[in-house]
Amino acid sequence: MPSQPDLVTFTVDGKEAQVPAGTLLIEAVKAAGVHIPHFCYHPRMKPVGMCRMCLVQVEGPRGMMLGTSCTMPVTEGMVVHTDTDTVAKAQEGVLEFLLLNHPLDCPVCDRGGECPLQDQTMAAGPGESRFVEEKRHYPKPIPISDLVLLDRERCILCARCTRFSDEISGDPLIEFKDRGNATQVNTFPDEPFASYFSGNTVQICPVGALTATPYRFRARPWDLEAVESTCPHCSVGCRISVQASRNEALRFLGVDNGPVNQGWLCDKGRFGFEFLNSGDRLDTPLVRDEDGDLVEASWAEALDRAAAGLSAAAAEGPGRLAGLGGARSTNEEAYAFGRFVRETLGSNHLDAQLGDGLDPRVLAGITPRAAIDDLERARTVLVWAPDLKEELPVLYLRVRRAATELGANLVVVHPRATGLDPVATHTLRYRPGAGTEMLRRLADGSGDLAAVRAALDEGPVVAIIGRPGLGDDPRLAEAVMAFAAGLPDAAVLPVTRRSNVYGAADMGLAPTLLPGRVANDAPGRDAAGILEGLASGDLGGLVLLGSDPATDYVEPQQAAAALDAAGFTVAIDLFLTPSAAKADVVLPALGFAETEGTVTNLEGRVQKVNRLLPGPGSARPAHEILEDLARRMGGSIGAASAEALAAEIAGTAPAYAGITWEALSWGAGREGIVAPGPEGSQPLAVAPEDHAPPPAARDLVLHQARVLYDRGTLTQAGPSLAKLAKEPAAYVHPEDATRFGIKAGAAVRLTGSGGSAELPVVLDPSLVAGTVYVPLHLGAALGAGLEISMEAVT
Amino acid sequence: MGLFSPIAGFGVTLKQMFRKRVTAQYPKEKRVKPQRFHGRHVLNRYPDGMEKCIGCELCAGICPARCIYVRGKENPKDAPVSPGERYGFVYEINMLRCIFCAMCVEACPTEAITMTHLFEMSVTTRDDAIYTRSELLMSPEGDVPHPQPPSKLIDLDELKVADGWMRATAPAGRAAYEGVRGWTPTAGAGHRPPERGQSGDDGADGEEDA
Amino acid sequence: MTRILLSRMEAHPSDSHTLARYEATGGYAPLRKALGMAPEDIVAEVKAANLRGRGGASFPCGVKWGFLAPAEPRYLVINADESEPGTFKDRQLLERDPHQLLEGIIISSFALGVHHAFVYVRGEYPRPARRIQAAIDEAYAAGYLGADVAGSGYSLDVTVHLGGGAYICGEETALLNSLEGRRGEPRIKPPFPAVEGLYAKPTIVNNVETISNIPWIVEHGGAAYDAIGPEGSRGTKLFSLSGHVRKPGNYELVMGMSWREMIYDIGGGIRDGNALKAWIPGGASAPWFVEEHLDTPVTIDDIASNLSMIGSGAIVVMDETTCMVKAALRVVRFFSHESCGQCTPCREGTTWLQQVLTRLEAGDGRDIDLDLLLDISDNISPGLAWPPGMTTICPLGPSAVSPITSLAKYFKDEVVAHVHEGGCPLA
Repeated sequence: MPSQPDLVTFTVDGKEAQVPAGTLLIEAVKAAGVHIPHFCYHPRMKPVGMCRMCLVQVEGPRGMMLGTSCTMPVTEGMVVHTDTDTVAKAQEGVLEFLLLNHPLDCPVCDRGGECPLQDQTMAAGPGESRFVEEKRHYPKPIPISDLVLLDRERCILCARCTRFSDEISGDPLIEFKDRGNATQVNTFPDEPFASYFSGNTVQICPVGALTATPYRFRARPWDLEAVESTCPHCSVGCRISVQASRNEALRFLGVDNGPVNQGWLCDKGRFGFEFLNSGDRLDTPLVRDEDGDLVEASWAEALDRAAAGLSAAAAEGPGRLAGLGGARSTNEEAYAFGRFVRETLGSNHLDAQLGDGLDPRVLAGITPRAAIDDLERARTVLVWAPDLKEELPVLYLRVRRAATELGANLVVVHPRATGLDPVATHTLRYRPGAGTEMLRRLADGSGDLAAVRAALDEGPVVAIIGRPGLGDDPRLAEAVMAFAAGLPDAAVLPVTRRSNVYGAADMGLAPTLLPGRVANDAPGRDAAGILEGLASGDLGGLVLLGSDPATDYVEPQQAAAALDAAGFTVAIDLFLTPSAAKADVVLPALGFAETEGTVTNLEGRVQKVNRLLPGPGSARPAHEILEDLARRMGGSIGAASAEALAAEIAGTAPAYAGITWEALSWGAGREGIVAPGPEGSQPLAVAPEDHAPPPAARDLVLHQARVLYDRGTLTQAGPSLAKLAKEPAAYVHPEDATRFGIKAGAAVRLTGSGGSAELPVVLDPSLVAGTVYVPLHLGAALGAGLEISMEAVT
Repeated sequence: MGLFSPIAGFGVTLKQMFRKRVTAQYPKEKRVKPQRFHGRHVLNRYPDGMEKCIGCELCAGICPARCIYVRGKENPKDAPVSPGERYGFVYEINMLRCIFCAMCVEACPTEAITMTHLFEMSVTTRDDAIYTRSELLMSPEGDVPHPQPPSKLIDLDELKVADGWMRATAPAGRAAYEGVRGWTPTAGAGHRPPERGQSGDDGADGEEDA
Repeated sequence: MTRILLSRMEAHPSDSHTLARYEATGGYAPLRKALGMAPEDIVAEVKAANLRGRGGASFPCGVKWGFLAPAEPRYLVINADESEPGTFKDRQLLERDPHQLLEGIIISSFALGVHHAFVYVRGEYPRPARRIQAAIDEAYAAGYLGADVAGSGYSLDVTVHLGGGAYICGEETALLNSLEGRRGEPRIKPPFPAVEGLYAKPTIVNNVETISNIPWIVEHGGAAYDAIGPEGSRGTKLFSLSGHVRKPGNYELVMGMSWREMIYDIGGGIRDGNALKAWIPGGASAPWFVEEHLDTPVTIDDIASNLSMIGSGAIVVMDETTCMVKAALRVVRFFSHESCGQCTPCREGTTWLQQVLTRLEAGDGRDIDLDLLLDISDNISPGLAWPPGMTTICPLGPSAVSPITSLAKYFKDEVVAHVHEGGCPLA
């Protein structure tokens, strides 16, 4: 690990400043309060010195030397001038050159009003043009993907987008073509810019050359209201700016939070805001009438019905009720839900996960826990987890950066090729069910795995561990964690997907946990147990908080049957999901950007989410709904306001002590505070044990994993992302295809533990033979079982 | 204070009695308005019928009374409403709020919104005071709709007159443009005639007759 | 007449490119001598020869070799991307005496500790590429290349690469990018290629003519080379004489004569008995010379002190019938066409210069256009000084400024006439 770099002293415009050695001049001058205009330079990418806007003069042995400040590292005693006539002339000259062929369509350009080129022109540009020739012309915007439009006339060829795609995201699908005055950014023929990160190029484009279709002509920058918040889509917790106009969310922009997303977002996060504006949002309570139909009702009526139904079920005896959900809520709502189920409903049957995650005690209590930013210092990164590019895309960017820019060893273990494979030092493949064997061989490190083992012995190690697919036993992940924790200077980052699973676990939304990472001595049922209890009649009722087991539970059909059998169900949700549609009372909740609170990401970082929008109709915050229900049932959960809940959390959960809204809203706290904080302590410490099940010997096993664009409720509720979901397919190893006598494109019938589907075949040599891969949530529900049968359909 | 001081004050009154009366008997008689009078707005079209408004919202942005609401939208490829990529598919002015400052006219990059000489637009409900596209946008022939029918009070011909100073000051704010007439031709009106003090020259910006 | 480079092809025009003729005329003897020397002694001989680079910058070859960083592997790249308008000397060396170059490559590689050398040939030079490839094949067969060069145990491979036809790839770092399979765009320096070049390894990039001198230097010693020609311009230089002279062609000359001798004696004077108007002393990038320079000496340093450069030795002579605006337009158009597009001032500026010159030539000029041209030029090359200042990464953009400054310096009246007479007065 490099020691603190030495400071060097330099002079800029007569002012002395000190910066770490090696700092680029363009960054260093900020220490002296000097700003140098620039277009191609971006602090998160390698400098190229192409736009030539940041020219400054440096005193050298041969007199004053003109050079680009973005490519010059500061050296001791350097004397820099940014305010000489020569510099001014050079910069104005470059600006004039940039404007020569830049069209004057600022009034219709989405960038107009927040455009660096426009700002620089207003600040220092020529009053009028000396250019009387014809400008360069290209057809106005051409779609380069479903989400991004390219206007080559506006492009100033700064290469920010092409460099991002190549260096940062690893999808070099756009590139310069032609040369000189005819240079243009473009895609390769017949290959769209189908990157999961394409939206970032729109955000970093210093002009309006790249624009996003979901935001196209929707607003002008001065119409927008914005708050900083935390992306609700996955557990990475990227910092975003939520921007809205006319009470309608119009775009999310990435905010550069150094320890987390470094300014980047995935397209699902960036364009996923559309679900907030969906016409399908619940805006009024629904109750089931005598005919069994859900009909609109007043809040009073709906709450009375819900309270009566729940009270009746509770009266049947203790532990007759259960709660599912909270993994997409704020910590405050999750905490209120926990209190509601435990105190008002008197039950310990409570789970935020749906059988697809990890043991909540491991999530909440594992040590040493890695922070995402540990990747900056890691020498070796072990990824035995879901395909990060599909499930946690921005974490993929951080791991990719560690493996490329920072030169860390990267070991990826997965049943098939993942997005990280191209930059991995070692890739290992195994059949789902045979992970234990893989782990044993890896720990042993003999034969062809010796090199991998050697890489893993180079610390510090960051181990990113989760369940690669639905069929992988969660105890395998724990066994891998137990192994990884023993690696030199190792820290473990356990991975699950839903945005606030960690917060929910910390708030006690698990059968085995109480709020504040305290083990529950009288554990209740988990999701599987709850659904089983509902089906068997052992449980009398259920409260769902933003949870859709009929879709998301590992065995959806089982869940649907359980919900049908349930005595009384209350669903608090944003949409009338398949599960909510089976409820007796449906209560519309406010969602992201409509409530205020905190969320906890996968590294335990607590960040603030903020309110900007009023939400649809009479939808209310979940904690208020729960408090009203509690009061009607003769109690209170003390949820007077979200802020009051936050204060209660800080008092109840030791790790959250000191993590107040105040602390998260100002100064360094805006980056989020990792719990346990500096003063906090950690009551629960879980050392994962190697207790993985024996390997299975099966003819054909099923690997199911999520893809970024699926048919999930939130994805499908926005028009931009809805169309990106692919058709489901069966990925078959070529050897198996030969064995079964099927060809690519042919149809096969797959029958798994929970269903059967007819799917087209795609050959996938990256699988281990004997494995069939089916993407989850694209429409093929096969159940969670490993075993699968396949037959050709003629 | 002299003895006649109380009476001397009447001298002013007496002098005024013999001066020409300035009060006009509106609405019986109407005064000639100055050429740059700020009346109600109109949304112009090019002579080929295309709308000039591109929905850029600069008028709404500059409006000190916050009385303009504009929404832009992508021009349909097969039947574009305006030249270029974008047009204003919602355009509303709340005439109750409007202070007739003509900043919107100055801000408009395409001369889409201009002001006319008509200011008679009394309404009976607040809703009626919100002029939408159907009240503001001229027809392809150059006729401007007005919510009230023509009457002794309302001379619809006044809608064909628009203030003419905007182009004189707009391009780069150069003094050289002072006194030079420059106006993109408008449906039904073509080039506006030069104002007093303006030359007939179309201006140095080389705006061509579309 | 002193002959270092062209002697073999002049004596044996039909087969000077073959290994048989090369060996029969003493070829590969210097290699054997070199292989018996310590590598640092060879570098010392080259330093002592005061051989200056023939690619354009005239940087002392020995000094450049001295900058080579110690990291392994290291590469030697021969810049045969001869694309400067008016230059055609390397072509002759490649086509007619490829073994001389190859021997130079082998000796230089041995001296520099290089085990893989590359010859980057201009895309429009298929025949020279075939010739050098044929010579390499012959050398492999004869044991001068490969794992055991001439029985010495030293190993060397040489690879020929044909470029894609971009002038900018003559710039050494753009050449290296192109060789690596990237876009031919110059890199930001530092790091210089000698520290971080091809595949980020220490790399020496030398011109064909420079390396072709190496066998002679090794054979006769650096001191013998240093004894030829005036100080600062030692050895012989190939000049590509073209334009309105009676006897255009490649000439191997010892420098030091006057320009008058160069144009009127060696070049045979101006065609049709016309008067001389101007000439470009060192390729399209060089500022022009006019009559007042006729009696200045042709040496590297004298040309530089007269604010131009010898460049690659391409002399383009223009007589009185030449429209100087059109000449400037031709040169600027070339640079605009060949700009890689990386830096804003070069990409936009050279094209703007071209557009303004085109307008002038077409008779649509304005009085302000000459000042405009100079100001655009000033924004590409601040100060319009020589050697040029740059707002760009590489000197291509500033090169396009040379004809503009020359135009303003010597032919202002002609530009004004273009404006006032609505076109070229000579047409």
